[in-house]
Amino acid sequence: MALPAGYTTRNLSRRRAQVLFTALGIGMTVAVFCGILSLRNGFEQLYRPRGAEEVAIYLRPGATSEGESAISREKARILIKERPEIIRDDGGVPLAAAECFLAVYMEKIGGGLTNVPLRGIEPASLTLHPYPPRLVDGRWPRWGSDEVVVGEPLVTRMKGCSLGETLRINTTPFEIVGVYRFDSAEGSEVWGPVERMLEALDRPVFQRVIARVSPTTDFAAIAEEIEKDPRISLTVSSEREYLQKQTSALGTALLFLSIFLTVVMGVAAVLGATNTMLAAVASRTHEIGVLLAIGYSRSEVFLAFLLESAQVGLIGGVLGVLMVLPFHGVETGAANFNTFTDVSFAFRLSPGLVGTSLIISFILGLVGGAIPAWRAARMKPVDALRG
Amino acid sequence: MKLPLRLALRHLLAGWVRNGLTVMALSIALFLFCFLISVVRSLDLAIDAAASNRLVTQSAVSLFIDLPLSYQGKIESIDGVEGTTKFQWFGGYYREPANFFAQFGIDHERFFDLYEGDIEISEGPAGVTGPAARTAVIEALAADRRACVLGEGLRSRFEKTDFEVGDTFPVIPTIFQKFDGSAWEFIIVGFYRPKRSNVDATTMYFRHDYLEESLEGGIAAGPEGAGVYMVNVADGSDPERVSSDIDALFENGPQATMTTSEAAFQAIFASMLGNVPLFLGTLGGAVLFAVLFSVINTMLIAARQRRREAGILQALGFSPSTSAWLLVFEGVLISLIGGGLGLLLAGGSAPAMAEALGTSIPNYAVDGATIIQGILLALLMGILAGAAAGLPMVRLQPTEALRSEG
Repeated sequence: MALPAGYTTRNLSRRRAQVLFTALGIGMTVAVFCGILSLRNGFEQLYRPRGAEEVAIYLRPGATSEGESAISREKARILIKERPEIIRDDGGVPLAAAECFLAVYMEKIGGGLTNVPLRGIEPASLTLHPYPPRLVDGRWPRWGSDEVVVGEPLVTRMKGCSLGETLRINTTPFEIVGVYRFDSAEGSEVWGPVERMLEALDRPVFQRVIARVSPTTDFAAIAEEIEKDPRISLTVSSEREYLQKQTSALGTALLFLSIFLTVVMGVAAVLGATNTMLAAVASRTHEIGVLLAIGYSRSEVFLAFLLESAQVGLIGGVLGVLMVLPFHGVETGAANFNTFTDVSFAFRLSPGLVGTSLIISFILGLVGGAIPAWRAARMKPVDALRG
Repeated sequence: MKLPLRLALRHLLAGWVRNGLTVMALSIALFLFCFLISVVRSLDLAIDAAASNRLVTQSAVSLFIDLPLSYQGKIESIDGVEGTTKFQWFGGYYREPANFFAQFGIDHERFFDLYEGDIEISEGPAGVTGPAARTAVIEALAADRRACVLGEGLRSRFEKTDFEVGDTFPVIPTIFQKFDGSAWEFIIVGFYRPKRSNVDATTMYFRHDYLEESLEGGIAAGPEGAGVYMVNVADGSDPERVSSDIDALFENGPQATMTTSEAAFQAIFASMLGNVPLFLGTLGGAVLFAVLFSVINTMLIAARQRRREAGILQALGFSPSTSAWLLVFEGVLISLIGGGLGLLLAGGSAPAMAEALGTSIPNYAVDGATIIQGILLALLMGILAGAAAGLPMVRLQPTEALRSEG
C-alpha cells in the first residue's frame, strides 16, 4: 500500500512560506551553477564553428597561438603553391590565405583599454570557410587600400569602431567601410588587407596560413611531412583542434568556479532543506503515528518524506533556471586568457544544462530530506501518537 | 519591562540542531562571499601598490610590439630619468605548457638598483642570505650569461621538484625558438622575495643580453627589441612631464610609444578582465541571498514553535513586541556566530588559498575591510530574518496564541 502522491503535494501547500524559502535557497545554488556554465557554453560555442574540420591552420612550430607565430613570405608562398591537401577553386586558385595578426589596444566604450585582434587578410580569407563571414553593413575593403571591416560586437563595445569612422593603426589612418558577422571566435576582430596592415605596423612576417583542405585530410600524417620539409617546416592542425586549445584557460577556470561554488553552496542549501524537513517531521509527529498505526510501513513513510523534500528541491531547480533564463543571449566580454585578447560572447543555456540543473536540485532535495525522513520512519507509533 | 534575554539563549540551545545547521550554512556562505570579494580586491590591489616613481614605456599600438633597442639610450638622456631597464617577455614554460609562468629578460647591471624598493634577494649563491646575498647575486649574474633569479614562489611550484641555487633550470620557449629545437637552459643563482604586494613572487628574471646574443648569433629566432622599458624617475622630477617628454620623442615613429605610470600599466591588465570583477561580485551576492533565505526559514520555523510561548509572555504582562524582539536577537546571534566562523575560516585559509591560486591571482589576501563588510552583512541578515519572523508575532492575540500547538 503506497502513500498517495497527493499526500506530499498537499503537505507542501500547507507550509508555503517555508517551502518557498527553502526552494529559493536551492534555486540560488542551481542558478549559480547554471549561470556560470551557460557563460562557459557561450564562450566555447564561439570556438566550435561549423565546418572547422575542413579548414587547416599552419603556424610556426612551438607556437601555441597566432600571437606567438611567425611565417616568412617565402615559406607562405611555397606552402600555398605546393601543398596537395589545399583545395583550389574552379579557376585553379588555392583557397588559402596568409594572414597577419596582432592584438592592438582599443578603448572600451565604458572606459579602459583592452586588446582587440587586428587581422590582415587576403581575398581567400573571406571565402575559404564552409560557413563564411557575411557583411551586415557597408562593403568589404578594397584590396590595396587603407580600409578595414570590423566585427559586429565591436561596434557597440569599442570606441571609434562604427562604420565611416577612422581607425589609426600606428601612424596610418584606416577607414572603416564595413561591419561583418562571423559566428566564431574571430567574429570580434578588425580585418584589413594584409599587405597594408604589415606596412602600417612595420612588421615583416605573416602569423599564420589558413586554407580549405579536402575533408579526408589526415592531419597527423601531413603535420609530420610539413614539419620535416626544410623549405616549409611549419606545424598544421585543423581549425577545430586549434580553436579548442584557445579555450582551455578561461573554459577550465569557469568550470572549476562552477563546481567549487555548486559544491559549497549545495552544502549550505542541503542544510537549509534539512532544517525545513526536520520542522515538517516535528510538526506532524502525531500524523506519522497515525500513518504507522493504520499499517503504512516504515519504508513508505521514509519515502513519503524523502519525496516531499525532493519536490521542494525540484521547485527550487525550476526557480533557479527561471532566474538564469533572462540572461540567455545577453552579450558580455572578457579576456581570453590564452590569447590575451578581448572576445564577445553571450550566455547560452542548453537543454542539457537545464536538465543537469534540475537533476542537481532534485538531488539536493533528496540529500536534505534523508535525515528527517529517517527520523520520521524510526518513530514508535505509540510515542508518536502521544506527540 | 526588560527583555528576557536569557530566554533567547535558552531557545538557541533548545533548537541546537536547527540553529547548528543554520550556523554552518551561514559560515559557508560568508566564507564564499569573503573569498569572492577578496579575489576582486586582489585584482585591484596591484594598482594601488604600484611604485609611484616608476614609468612604463611601451608601444602605443600593442602590448605585443617590441620597441627598438636604440630607444633605451634616448630615454635615459631625458632630464629627470634616473635609470631604465628593459623588460622582455619570454613566454616560456617548464616542461609542460600547463607549467606556464612569467620570465623577463632584464638589464642585470641596473635591475636590482632600480627595483630595490620592489624585491629583496632572499638567498644567493652558496647559501648566502641577508644583505650579502644581494651583492653575491649581482656578481653571479655578471659572471654567467645563463644566470637567472627566481621568485620564492617558484621554488616548489612544479610537481615534486624543489629547486635550489646552482640548479639548471630549463625553459621551453614559445616565442624564441632555438634552431636546434632544444630548451633554453638557465642557471639559478638566487631567489627573491617581493617587498611590494603588486610584485609577483613567481617570476624569473634573466639576462637580456643572453637573449640578444642568442638572436644575433643565429642560435635562436624571435623578435629583437624590448617589450617595455621600466623607467625610474629621479627624486624631485615630475613623472608626468617625463612621460610626455618620452612620448614626444618617438611621436613620429618608427614605433609610437605610450608612457604611463606603473599603476596605469597594471590597470590595463585589470581592464582586460572585462566583466570578470562584476561577475564575481554578482556571484558573491547570489551566495548571500541563498543563505539569507535559509536564515529566514530557520527563524520562521522558530516563530511557529513560539506562538504559544508568545501568548504566555503576553499573559504575564510583557508587551506584544517582546517575542518579536527575542526573535530578532536570536537571529542576530545566529548570524554573527555563523558569519564570524565563516570569516575566521576565510581569514585563516588565506595563505593556503594564495598558494593554491598561485599565479592566476597573484596577490590573494583577505583584508580587514572585507571582514568588516562581511560582519555587517551577517548582522543585517540576522536583523532581516528575525524581523521577517517576528513581525507577525506583534499582532498575535494572547488568547489565540495560547491555543496554538507547541
